[in-house]
Amino acid sequence: MDSKGWSLKGSLLLLLLPDLLLCKSVASLPICPRGAANCQVSLRDLFERAVILSHYIHNLSSEMFNEFDKRYAQGRGFITKAINSCHTSSLSTPEDKEQAQQIHHEDLLNLILSVLRSWNDPLYHLVTEVRGLQEAPDALLSRAIEIEEQNRRLLEGMEKIVGQVHPGVRENEVYSVWSGLPSLQVADEDTRLFAFYNLLHCLRRDSHKIDNYLKLLKCRIVYDSNC
Amino acid sequence: MDLWRLLLTLAVAGSSSAFSGSEDSSEKPKFTKCRSPELETFSCHWTDGVHHGLKSPGSIQLFYIRRSTQEWTQEWKECPDYVSAGENSCYFNSSYTSIWIPYCIRLTSNGGTVDQKCFSVEEIVQPDPPIGLNWTLLNISLTGIHADIQVRWEPPPNADVQKGWIVLEYELQYKEVNESQWKMMDPVLSTSVPVYSLRLDKEYEVRVRSRQRNSEKYGEFSEVLYVTLPQMSSFACEEEFQFPWFLIIIFGIFGLTMILFLFIFSKQQRIKMLILPPVPVPKIKGIDPDLLKEGKLEEVNTILAIHDNYKPEFYNDDSWVEFIELDIDDPDEKTEGSDTDRLLSNDHEKSLNILGAKDDDSGRTSCYEPDILETDFNASDLCDGTSEVAQPQRLKGEVDLLCLDQKNQNNSPSTDAPPTIQQPSGILAKENKPRPLLISGTESTHQAAHPQLSNPSSLANIDFYAQVSDITPAGSVVLSPGQKNKAGISPCDMPPEVVSLCQANFITDNAYFCEADAKKCIAVAPHVEAESRGEPSFNQEDIYITTESLTTTAGQSGTAEQAPSSEMPVPDYTSIHIVQSPQGLVLNATALPLPDKEFLSSCGYVSTDQLNKIMP
Repeated sequence: MDSKGWSLKGSLLLLLLPDLLLCKSVASLPICPRGAANCQVSLRDLFERAVILSHYIHNLSSEMFNEFDKRYAQGRGFITKAINSCHTSSLSTPEDKEQAQQIHHEDLLNLILSVLRSWNDPLYHLVTEVRGLQEAPDALLSRAIEIEEQNRRLLEGMEKIVGQVHPGVRENEVYSVWSGLPSLQVADEDTRLFAFYNLLHCLRRDSHKIDNYLKLLKCRIVYDSNC
Repeated sequence: MDLWRLLLTLAVAGSSSAFSGSEDSSEKPKFTKCRSPELETFSCHWTDGVHHGLKSPGSIQLFYIRRSTQEWTQEWKECPDYVSAGENSCYFNSSYTSIWIPYCIRLTSNGGTVDQKCFSVEEIVQPDPPIGLNWTLLNISLTGIHADIQVRWEPPPNADVQKGWIVLEYELQYKEVNESQWKMMDPVLSTSVPVYSLRLDKEYEVRVRSRQRNSEKYGEFSEVLYVTLPQMSSFACEEEFQFPWFLIIIFGIFGLTMILFLFIFSKQQRIKMLILPPVPVPKIKGIDPDLLKEGKLEEVNTILAIHDNYKPEFYNDDSWVEFIELDIDDPDEKTEGSDTDRLLSNDHEKSLNILGAKDDDSGRTSCYEPDILETDFNASDLCDGTSEVAQPQRLKGEVDLLCLDQKNQNNSPSTDAPPTIQQPSGILAKENKPRPLLISGTESTHQAAHPQLSNPSSLANIDFYAQVSDITPAGSVVLSPGQKNKAGISPCDMPPEVVSLCQANFITDNAYFCEADAKKCIAVAPHVEAESRGEPSFNQEDIYITTESLTTTAGQSGTAEQAPSSEMPVPDYTSIHIVQSPQGLVLNATALPLPDKEFLSSCGYVSTDQLNKIMP
């Protein structure tokens, strides 16, 4: 079964790859209006934009984490971050280069989509809760808002890419549910701050993960592994 | 979970900052650095600790633990490779490395934990330095002092940038060889970068370092690249060739300027004209200004008559002759016989004909045409308001016609017709004579009763002729005051005794009467001044009414501007304004010297008969 499945997938990939290469040579059009059926933004452009977005989100997350760390976490001993896990750990994402290279790009794309969807809810609540933080610096709040918006845009972009690379198949939307809201709203300040810390740490890590996957995919799909 | 509580306490009790080694001179070994150069492997280093003389260096061990798929593997594993990364190090190859997975490592010495650290691999990325630095000359400045170069390098070999697994950015630094401060350039993503403005006589050092994009920590610097720029002293020689050209140009311009100034300021008019021709002054086409100064009047007049707007206002002694116009081309006028007919019935065609026509005989413009009798003041915009003089006269006639109609209805047409009075020569300005005058043309005038005269009462005070004494800036005509109006009553309703009274004063053969005579009538009938019938436009004391008041036929109400000027003196002599026929004249309100006193009647108007006496 496996070999059959793999051979099928391999043949599909072989069929798709020339198409993808063709897509690469198609002159890039301006952004399509919503609902236009025949509109074709080139895959290259879509990936470029996606990579830019993911890079930007990771930058913001790092800055936000550093800001929070500097402001709230000093002397509180939050080094125990290793203990707590992120809610997206349930998704089986590749953890090193070999695994990432072995996985097929449709699956990787779906995984990326899952991770992005999993973060919709936490980011939304992060914005609301950061507002309630005591003496929250403006940089923190503005970054939270920006990350939430860019995440949504990246999700849309990824769905477009999936539509081009792997059209037709509509997988059931898998994502991890986040249940950390109560801990963000708890009365005890220490616990609450640690919950924030953890969430921001997870955000930084996941944004790095997505950024890496996308860069890998871009080189693989658009530039044929020759960046 | 016990283990984790232990870990927790240890971690809390342990190092404060995550990655930096503490500086205090304790004997314990500590972690100095953990780094991953390419996001595929990582290694950790520690210090050995101060060796006490007595103590033998205990066996230091590193244990690590990592969390994978939601559960911590409960046992600490020992470092797989103590050798590859050097002394006091532990190397984790790619099979032991998982990205985005938390690791914790523990250093033990003689079984006792001395240090502990937790991290994720993506946080400790510090790439290797780039390799293969080289430079190429881009260009040299014109002055031969500065040059630009392009520096190229290769990414570190173990970083898989080609597959996109890791993305690096680079920072270049350079300095002169004998300087101490490095100049830094902004980070770039590409593997080549231009360096501008290096001095040709100096040697430079260049080095590059890299870091993972989004990280903060740079890797190590690459080897230093020495840049020795070629000494191009021969370039300086080339500049000297430009010297003579520059001097020649300067001197040439100077000389030319000198010559030019000589010419300009010299008295030689001819050369001056050549270099600086005089600017021509604007000239009116066809008119020589010298002619205007010294030329004869007729010549100038003829010339200026070509232009539309000119209206000669000068008069000779023979001006009488000049202003007579013979209507040769209108035989109908003679056959009709009645001026009023012409006025009222055929005026439309006539005026339309003549509206644009020019009279070239005497230099007058179309404004002075006799037949512009339309009650259309727009037509007269071209001209002054003097053309409107004709209009009140016509309207008066119309009014009288209406009165005539009434009278005719009441009386027989022939009762009041002294035919002698009725003279085809003219349109009388007498208000008490209109009825007899117009009787001859009653029937025709009946038909010709102008439909415009819908309001005969408004025309109560209109005479046939009015003397224009002034023209307002607005272009309307200001008529001189004449006989006192019979108080707004239609002339038809004038009390007959007044009529007869005034009538007696007038010379019957006179078609015109002047103000002096008119005033007598005013004096005679002082009571006839009626109150205004609600039309303030009429000056009750005036026979001659301003143009605005005449326009009440059209429903307007103009204010009589003549109210204060009722006593304005009327010049004795007027020039002829319109010629109705060879037998009639309409005069202007302009002073004119009369050649013969014989023509003086009680006023300054000359009737046709009198005119015929002087004319040959």
